[in-house]
Amino acid sequence: MITLYDFELSGNCYKLRLLMSILNLPYDIVPVDFFPGRQHKADWFLRLNPFGQLPVLKDDDLVLSDSGAILAYLAKKYDTSGLWFPDDPAITAEVLRWHAVADDITSTSSAARLALGYDYNFNIEKSQRGAHRIFRLMDEHLWFGEKAGRDWLCSPAHPTTADIACFPYVMLSEEGGISRQDYPALRRWTDRVRRIPGFTVMSGIFPAGPAKVD
Amino acid sequence: MPQAPDPITRNLWHVVAATDELPIGLVETTLLLDTRLALTRGSDGEPVVWLRTDEENGDEIDADSVLERLPVRTAYGYTWTCLGTPDAELFPIPEFAEPDRVNMSCGSIGIHVSAPRAVENFLDMGHFPYVHTDILGSEPHTEVKEYDVEVSEERDEVLATKCRFIQPMAAKSAVGAMEVEYVYRVPHPFCSVLYKSCPEDETRRDVIGIFLQPMTEERCRAHLLQSMIDSTSTITDLRRFQQTIFGQDKPILENQYPKKLPLDPRSETPIRADKSAIAYRRWLSQKGITYGVIPQAS
Amino acid sequence: MPLSLSDPNWYPIASSEDLPFRHVYQGQLLGRELAVWRADDGNVNVWENRCLHRGVRLSIGINEGQELKCQYHGWRYANQSAGCTYIPAHPADAPARRIENRKYPIREAFGLIWSAANDDQAYAPFPGSDGHDWFALRPMPVNATPEDVVAGLARLAPDDEPADLLPALVVRVGGVTWFVQPVDAGRAVIRGLLPEKPADELATLRHYNELLTKLRDRLERAAARKPAPEPLQPVFEKVSADLSTMPDIAVPRGNTLTVVVKRKWQSADGVIGFELADRDGKHLPTFQPGAHIDVHLPNGLVRQYSLTNGPGDLSRYVIGVKAESASKGGSKVLVETVREGDLLQISEPRNNFPLRRDATRTVLIAGGIGITPLLSMARFLDKSSLPYELHYFTRNDESAAFSSELGVLHGHVERHAGLARDAIRAKVAAVMGPYQFANHVYICGPGAMLEMVQQVAADLGWPDEAVHFEYFQNDKVIDSSSAFDVELARSAMTLHVPAGKTILETMREAGLTVPSSCEQGACGTCLTTVMEGEVDHQDVYLNKTEKASNTCMMTCVSRAKSDRLVLDI
Repeated sequence: MITLYDFELSGNCYKLRLLMSILNLPYDIVPVDFFPGRQHKADWFLRLNPFGQLPVLKDDDLVLSDSGAILAYLAKKYDTSGLWFPDDPAITAEVLRWHAVADDITSTSSAARLALGYDYNFNIEKSQRGAHRIFRLMDEHLWFGEKAGRDWLCSPAHPTTADIACFPYVMLSEEGGISRQDYPALRRWTDRVRRIPGFTVMSGIFPAGPAKVD
Repeated sequence: MPQAPDPITRNLWHVVAATDELPIGLVETTLLLDTRLALTRGSDGEPVVWLRTDEENGDEIDADSVLERLPVRTAYGYTWTCLGTPDAELFPIPEFAEPDRVNMSCGSIGIHVSAPRAVENFLDMGHFPYVHTDILGSEPHTEVKEYDVEVSEERDEVLATKCRFIQPMAAKSAVGAMEVEYVYRVPHPFCSVLYKSCPEDETRRDVIGIFLQPMTEERCRAHLLQSMIDSTSTITDLRRFQQTIFGQDKPILENQYPKKLPLDPRSETPIRADKSAIAYRRWLSQKGITYGVIPQAS
Repeated sequence: MPLSLSDPNWYPIASSEDLPFRHVYQGQLLGRELAVWRADDGNVNVWENRCLHRGVRLSIGINEGQELKCQYHGWRYANQSAGCTYIPAHPADAPARRIENRKYPIREAFGLIWSAANDDQAYAPFPGSDGHDWFALRPMPVNATPEDVVAGLARLAPDDEPADLLPALVVRVGGVTWFVQPVDAGRAVIRGLLPEKPADELATLRHYNELLTKLRDRLERAAARKPAPEPLQPVFEKVSADLSTMPDIAVPRGNTLTVVVKRKWQSADGVIGFELADRDGKHLPTFQPGAHIDVHLPNGLVRQYSLTNGPGDLSRYVIGVKAESASKGGSKVLVETVREGDLLQISEPRNNFPLRRDATRTVLIAGGIGITPLLSMARFLDKSSLPYELHYFTRNDESAAFSSELGVLHGHVERHAGLARDAIRAKVAAVMGPYQFANHVYICGPGAMLEMVQQVAADLGWPDEAVHFEYFQNDKVIDSSSAFDVELARSAMTLHVPAGKTILETMREAGLTVPSSCEQGACGTCLTTVMEGEVDHQDVYLNKTEKASNTCMMTCVSRAKSDRLVLDI
């Protein structure tokens, strides 16, 4: 049985809820009072993850941390289609490359959000500038992707964990004072992600309306 | 340069922190009415607030060494201060003192919108199905039925009663959809308290408060209070429920513009469901509040 | 030259490919934020990015195909007109007043979407645009003043072939025409067009993207060394005074408009379809499902016809007219003498038959020509993916109108042809079933059928407020033998209504302007609040509960049982 140590307003926790919803995986939630309770720094939590970071996922006796690593684990273990984290070495590298971008988005867009909304001592302007720099590159990548008939961050015709990993803190960027007005291709990609069957929302992210059916 | 706040706003008690979350012997910094404040708690646990000079967040400090202090009051788990001459009393929430209630702060969350916009959103029921989908409302049950609004002269507060709405999951302890009844009070220009039918005891009501700290005219911090009749949920569960709700309101509030609340009736389009918001806007106008609002041109 | 909020020039604000179906693009021109969306019919809307209700950005709303839905309270705004068609907080009411979002002019050309801050200048294609198959490059947002961006583009030109600077921030360098979209005082978007599609599209796009990226970086480094200009401060237009208050009753507007009969066709045996459109091809006013228009006939009569249109379909109104030989005067004139190309006067749409969109189940029951408003309702429910079933009773298969329109609906549509009265009754009872919470039924058809369905509904425990109906006409014999006084509370006037004259006529003679339409107690236009006195209801518009409440009446046919009535007029 899977147990997720979870905080509702965390985009990193949401990545796992999102993938498990898409894969239709049942799981239990242990709510962690990250804010204002700071339970992720409590002794019991540090025993699970000495880095003191959410999310933590337990699958029977196996304890895992880091959202990107857990995404890869869930996809490799439970996605029978093999499409969310493909085995092909080149594509694996591509997906991991975007997992790294997702971490950069966390350290910029999410940092700005934590500073403005949750009283964290991060440099707001620097975080915002950093997020804009990444979003520009993503918009360009996705714009040329559309031209080449590619809908997702990586080359397969199907979304991968890379899309899941990058999605939350792109969608939550406005809470960090980062407008997405200048990134139309990025905005279209967020519509596509929100239309993946099994998609679920988190607090702060609204669903997309239905696509046109002919 | 920001405008100096109007005298009414300046003389109000304003919330600045959840008292328990203030570190003892360490500085915390914040902003109130464009003014930089520093806060800490003494070894006796009592909060101390003063005008910030060169203190930084996390500095060690002995509260006793702070001589020039701002007035402080603690109420409902929060620390309140005033930049002018405060009233003797803060508005009452008598239920808070009932012994069997679970009282808790639910975090202080910064939002990029004026405090009055956040109050108005708190008073609003029509958005439940669209913003709090499957929790406080769900399509197709979208109707806001007629309710009563008055401005109580005696208590100087806006009061909306008989507010009813069909909710799929009204509270952490709710099972299944029910029609809930709300009473909303606005006892302070930047604070509101709501009473809602309690799933566990139909003779009593859960109390949820939102206290807005106006940091600037276009930015505030929402301090949330829950005072619940709930014998089963944990504090973490209850906080999570309230934060989920507030987190859903956040992107709506931050996408509203202008960020200040316009008091001219012709700047937006009210409908009958907005009676409480209209009364609130008028009440602010009559009080002469200009901070965080766009006053009606005279 | 500093930017002006009232700049009348047209600028590109998006690429065509930025607007896939069911997406809302967030744009900005001269400081004003825009919500730009393509409807399922291909039409592109450029609106102020702000819901009139509470100022929330519409770019976080949902493009439902023919309507845009605000994320905050679910208000729906129609394609083309930007008129509000539905306010979910008050599902039983038609949005009473004309709530219309601010729109900006729009033109789609050369792979770009063009708009302007105002309507002062007609759209004209840019000089030299003729005769090319233009190819749009990837747009490049730049955080620098539009004039610095123009200057930067001009510097791309080699010395021996200087750039051409054209009006409205256009720069021609070599083969490329660059348009600078003035987003705000310190922000711009560069949009480039090539005169034809290049051989290697992707390589060309990459090449210019690289060029613009470098230019952007240079311009932004230079901009960072200068003080940032103050953003433009556009003013939001105020809503009209009648929108800022909250009237309880809709007061329909008396405006008429001239339309041309675009198409007239036999939709079924005995049913003629009419397609009415604006003479200049502009869109027609916003309507809601269930709405009707008054058609002023060539012989001076005025008749009401329901619109059959779906959401956001404002390029024409489609009505169905029953071609009954026995028809007295009205429809007969329309059927026999009005031809394609003729002009007709019509009223703006009014809605006395509003559709709630908050039902868990909606049953639509049509009899004969009564299909028209229900077709419109079905189309709205269809687009919003709400559950509904439509039962259409006709005399025979041949008299079933709008077959192709009904055929493309996704809901449960069932036709019942040639059933006898008892069979219809049994079918209706089976279809409706016992009442359940949040179920609503809508009926339109001949008087006898309406009464039958109302009876069936009552027998099955359906409350009056769940049973919605619209009569075409009042078949009852009006008894106008009583005489009484009416006191008009707001006008401070007391009038005597003699036998043989209606309250409405008496008020008109006294110089009051009172809205009315059918004047036979069927359409609901003259609905008036009753403050005192006992009403003698003779209309078919109000339901039993409403009649029993004695709080409102139709002044065109209903009278007083008491000696005196006090009306809120």
